[in-house]
Amino acid sequence: MELRQERRAVERPLVSVVDDDESVRESLPDLLGELGYAARTFSSAEEFLASDCLDQARCLILDIAMPGMSGPDLQRELKLRGQEIPIIFITASTDKSARPRLLEQGAVECLFKPFSDTALLKAMNTAFHRK
Amino acid sequence: MEVQSEHASGEIKHLQRCINDLISLLALPAIWSGGDPSQVLHTLLDALMRMLRLDLISVRLTDLVGEAPVEIVRLSEQRRPMSSAHEICEALSQCFKNDSRKWPPLLRNLMGDGDVSIVALPLGLQGELGIMVVAAEREDFPRQTESLLLDVAANQAVIGLQEARLRSQQKRVADELDRQVAQRAAELATANEKLKKELAERGLVEERLGQEERELKRSEVRKAAIVDSALDCIVTIDHEGCITEFNPAEEDTFGYRRDEVLGKHLADVVIPPSLREKHRRGFARYLATGEARVLGKRIEMTAVRADGSEFPVELAITRIPLEGPPSFTGYLRDITERNRARQELRRSEAFLAEAQHLSRIGSFSWRMVTDEITWSEQLYRIFQIDRDAQVTFELIGTRIHPEDLPAFQEHIERSRRDRSDVQLEFRLQMPDGAVKYVHVAAHIRGDHGQPEYIGAVQDVTERRASEEALGKARSELSQVARVTSLGVLTASIAHEVNQPLSGIITNAGTCLRMLAADPPNVEGARETVRRTIRDGNRAADVISRLRALYGKKEPTIESVDLNEATREVLALSMSELQRNRVIVQQELVDDLPLVAGDRVQLQQVILNLLRNASDAMSTIDDRPRDLLIRTEPDDDGRVRLSVSDVGTGFEPQATDKLFEAFYTTKNEGMGIGLSVSRSIIERHHGRLWAMPNSGPGVTFSFSVPCRAEGLTSDGARASRVPSVSDAA
Repeated sequence: MELRQERRAVERPLVSVVDDDESVRESLPDLLGELGYAARTFSSAEEFLASDCLDQARCLILDIAMPGMSGPDLQRELKLRGQEIPIIFITASTDKSARPRLLEQGAVECLFKPFSDTALLKAMNTAFHRK
Repeated sequence: MEVQSEHASGEIKHLQRCINDLISLLALPAIWSGGDPSQVLHTLLDALMRMLRLDLISVRLTDLVGEAPVEIVRLSEQRRPMSSAHEICEALSQCFKNDSRKWPPLLRNLMGDGDVSIVALPLGLQGELGIMVVAAEREDFPRQTESLLLDVAANQAVIGLQEARLRSQQKRVADELDRQVAQRAAELATANEKLKKELAERGLVEERLGQEERELKRSEVRKAAIVDSALDCIVTIDHEGCITEFNPAEEDTFGYRRDEVLGKHLADVVIPPSLREKHRRGFARYLATGEARVLGKRIEMTAVRADGSEFPVELAITRIPLEGPPSFTGYLRDITERNRARQELRRSEAFLAEAQHLSRIGSFSWRMVTDEITWSEQLYRIFQIDRDAQVTFELIGTRIHPEDLPAFQEHIERSRRDRSDVQLEFRLQMPDGAVKYVHVAAHIRGDHGQPEYIGAVQDVTERRASEEALGKARSELSQVARVTSLGVLTASIAHEVNQPLSGIITNAGTCLRMLAADPPNVEGARETVRRTIRDGNRAADVISRLRALYGKKEPTIESVDLNEATREVLALSMSELQRNRVIVQQELVDDLPLVAGDRVQLQQVILNLLRNASDAMSTIDDRPRDLLIRTEPDDDGRVRLSVSDVGTGFEPQATDKLFEAFYTTKNEGMGIGLSVSRSIIERHHGRLWAMPNSGPGVTFSFSVPCRAEGLTSDGARASRVPSVSDAA
């Protein structure tokens, strides 16, 4: 279990990152910080659901394939709970066919690893613009 | 098959020799025909000496009417006994006075210190004619066939002696008659002159005449007894061809009673209708011109029984040497059995030749002392050497593939030296350049003096060709499997590489932003660069693991820790397994012995088992997709690795098919994985099998020998495990 908080400032919107890959959990918060967000990371969907972050997060950056509950599973679960958080899926898979279905089901974006900082920024802007 | 065929070949040769000897023995009467007892015996002893390689042969006759006992002793020229022939002769004379059963030990002392086998054969049913003694310094003497030959020889001797005796008796009787007639004429003349004076003496003369008649009659009776007891058919005919005597053997053989045929034409009785005319012509010609085509020879012809059935006989006709109109004696022997044996021998030879032809097996013998090599017909065909050629090692050498010739010659020398069994495979090169593969198996047999290799040569060219084709096909299959594995793995590889790449790009982007800020966040930038380097290394690790798994081509033998190999495979495939929601449980036992093998090939097998287990559980939603991978020491110095799943399992009847190439229970996939996996494990001298679990799912296991066993018990085996790709 790992929980990391970066530059937690009141004015900064909170973004939750759920990914089983440590590289992502380490690198993304710094980038999000540079982009003007606060970030919290979780190594699994279950850990995120159990946290107090559920109500605070304004956006969710979610890995698709994870041990246990997968990204889309969490998306469905949140919908069931009435939690309408904008979700940006990220995946290391090269299978592009998953993307249209995810967007159809309400995801903001689906980014294929490795993605650039500008691609992430664009997706973040879309997420917060929607809101 | 090889052993049988060479045994059969030796047996057939032996039997053939025996039959030849038998025929020679049976032909002897033609040689001694008309001779005296001494000629009969000399002829017979010469033949036996030669046939049976005897060291001593002796005959003593005890019952020859009016003649002194004949004794003949022969000694082998090769043999120099302790005692001279004369001494042995003397000793034998002594022996004869004693019980004949006691004297072989006496004789043995005379023959010297060698181990001598002695056989005594009584001549005549009760030994009344005498005794024949043979001795040979051979361990196997007398063999069964030699005993048979000796019995036949003894019988021939009896018949020959009886014939000779009969002849001499007849001659004596005739001489006696002449003498008596002359004497009687003289006496009668004298008596006529002195008739009146010697009336009183007349009674005496008459009495003497009566005595002589009785003597003659006794001789006739004795002759009849011999004829009656003879085993051969004996028939006598007069100058018109009419039967005058017909012995009991003849009655048995032909089914006529003596009184039925006496006075009838021989031709009408025993000769088939189709041959009668010819017989009559020959008989008439002889009577007219004296030209005999059959007299004194053994001829084979067809005879006919009373019931009309025909059968083969051997016939010898001799002219009875009496004055007056010619009369003849015919000796007939039913040779149905002999012909049948001869035919069976021929058929058995034909069977053998055909079997050799069909199975492409030729047989040979090699007498080591003389280097005399005998080949079966098929062997000439295999070597493409002319049937009439004299087989020598030099000639054989011209057909051996030049690259295999030195090894072949060394094998010959070793066989000469060690006399051990031979198992050898080498190539032949035909004059047209074609190459044949032959397998040779031979073993030595024979006595000390005549060691002989008997063996078989099989043309295995086709088998080799199919083995090579099989190896090639397997190698191609394994190539397909590799490509397939790579194809399936591509997504997994991309996933593994994309994770650290993602970190690198993100960190680099962050770094740029931190440095571009005012003031630059140097500390944060340094941290991102540190993480970038680490992620770069992680990506490099992934690549090198993949290269290790798929990059190598040549198999190498090394000590492999199956636990470590398993962990590496798990590290590569874990994310894929997780995506498939497979829960992996590892039970890798500590201190697992190392195994000898090709690490990459073994890892491919493990990977294949993991993927199979994962695929088998892809539709399971009502229970956790548990996968257990376990390593443990197995029996007999082996290590076992097993992978259990809780998947759909397979039908029990499909167990046999699981490992066949292209058999698959999956909708996708080529079904090659398990067959290639099994071939890899078998090349590691291990085995791979599948067992249904007591609960749901299946356990696939393989076990391979530990390194220590592989290195100590068979270094060559451990040093090189053929790869699936080098078979061709």
